[in-house]
Amino acid sequence: MNRRAAIVAATLLLLVVVLCPVLFIAQMSVRTGLEAFRMPPALVFTPTLQHYVDLVEGKFIRSLMNSTVTATSTTLLALLLGVPAAYAFSRSRFRAQGVVSLWTLVTRMAPPIAFGIPFFLIYKELGLIDTRTGLVVIYLTFNLSLVIWMMRAFFDGVPRSLEEAAYIDGAGVVTAFVRIALPLSAPGLATTAIFTFLLSWNDFFYSLLLTRSEALTAPVAIVNFMNYESWEWGKVAAAATMIMLPVVALSIAVRKYIVHGLTAGAVKG
Amino acid sequence: MAVLVLVTVLPLLYLVVTSFTPLDLTSVGSLRWAGLTNYRQLAGDGRFWNSVWVQAQLSFWTVSLQMLTGFAIALLLNGRMRFLELVRSMFLVPMVLPPVVVALIWKILFTPDVSILDWMLGVLHLPQPAWLSDPGLALWAVIVADVWEWFPFVMLTLLAALQMLPSESLEAARLDGASRTQVLRYITIPLLKPAIVVAVLFRLIDSVKAFPHIFIMTGGGPGTATEVTNFYAYLQGFSYTYVGYSSAIIVVLLLATLLMSLGVLAVTGHEFDVE
Repeated sequence: MNRRAAIVAATLLLLVVVLCPVLFIAQMSVRTGLEAFRMPPALVFTPTLQHYVDLVEGKFIRSLMNSTVTATSTTLLALLLGVPAAYAFSRSRFRAQGVVSLWTLVTRMAPPIAFGIPFFLIYKELGLIDTRTGLVVIYLTFNLSLVIWMMRAFFDGVPRSLEEAAYIDGAGVVTAFVRIALPLSAPGLATTAIFTFLLSWNDFFYSLLLTRSEALTAPVAIVNFMNYESWEWGKVAAAATMIMLPVVALSIAVRKYIVHGLTAGAVKG
Repeated sequence: MAVLVLVTVLPLLYLVVTSFTPLDLTSVGSLRWAGLTNYRQLAGDGRFWNSVWVQAQLSFWTVSLQMLTGFAIALLLNGRMRFLELVRSMFLVPMVLPPVVVALIWKILFTPDVSILDWMLGVLHLPQPAWLSDPGLALWAVIVADVWEWFPFVMLTLLAALQMLPSESLEAARLDGASRTQVLRYITIPLLKPAIVVAVLFRLIDSVKAFPHIFIMTGGGPGTATEVTNFYAYLQGFSYTYVGYSSAIIVVLLLATLLMSLGVLAVTGHEFDVE
């Protein structure tokens, strides 16, 4: 019994230490400029939403829109292209599978700048710098293989006999895929969609490299708040809180599958 | 499939091509063959070798510390208690946050005057260094941020492996009178070895990608104290516009990553081929 109590106590203590930095920035976002600097921090204070109001009224809201639009489009496109491919991989046994696995691994391993340089040069020619389209396309480099990798595992879990029964009833491959395999792997589809959304939403490097102002996404827009003579601490904290909220909410929604998605390639799904 | 090739294979080939050219964003017509010039220059570039050394230190410390904390917490959370199952996913928060938020959080925590960390050190009468502007400490600040962000990955991988351990051998050892430490030392760790190796390799490879932390927290400085190879390539390509030279650095970096990936395959090999 003592041992159990010790484990619970140690776990709670660790949890507080681990989550402290996140709470610190969240509370900073609702303090006025002067409050934020007062040490020790007052435990009782009047929270203010001023920083959030400033952000919503300023240019930041547009960057937030850019983030939402690009992440959503990438997700849809990656699913549209990747899901049928994943299905094909799951249902056939051809030799290219090993190659695809290796390539999935390589695209996951490569430092983003390896794709950043060639895409930057090509986009300069095509006039795609600082466009949402450009961002969506480069996000496919990592999202497409993630979709194929994740969805293949989900399709593997759908018993083949169901589709075979459909074939006997005269259904074609497309019908079997759309009417049987897809609905049965709906939870997997939702999880995969959320993961691709998060990966695109969290991106910093590509947006830094390929956007200037028009297509600027929220993570890079924040950095601009720190380029002026004095840091706008409250505003930075508020913006950071705004972009991490959807991430935390969505992660909680998929926590059951989180191991599978976050360790893509590391542990067998 | 064709799309995958188009968006991944072709750009990498293009990268290799530019690495053989003196391509400079500010000069037209600089996309011409120059053979191994960039690579020869790289071999004698002190700043490049410095970046490799910084990277080696960053990788060594982040991976070791993540393995230690991740493993310790995995052992702690590997119980059958309902409570433990509930809190497990809360430990994952640092890993899912946008990297830019992680970098900002630690930038603030390591900045004197606004940081509660700084204030606590003061209360304890400990030195309150200006972490990010001290060449000896800046890399440690980056290491702390990275360990915080990624220990959950190690924890997650090892926790999954721990829960798949055969409970019979653990119980048999306990019945034979082995202490908890002995079970850990002679049974648990040897059985976890594959998972440990995979976690180390993945973290090692990812540590080479460190970018947002360095960009936001230190900008590679002070001086070149936190300038890792990845960041140096970014500076060469996009601050100094020498894209050709930058490509060569990245090609070398990619080859190193590829070698490590082959290591991953060697460990997990068969699992990638057939399901």
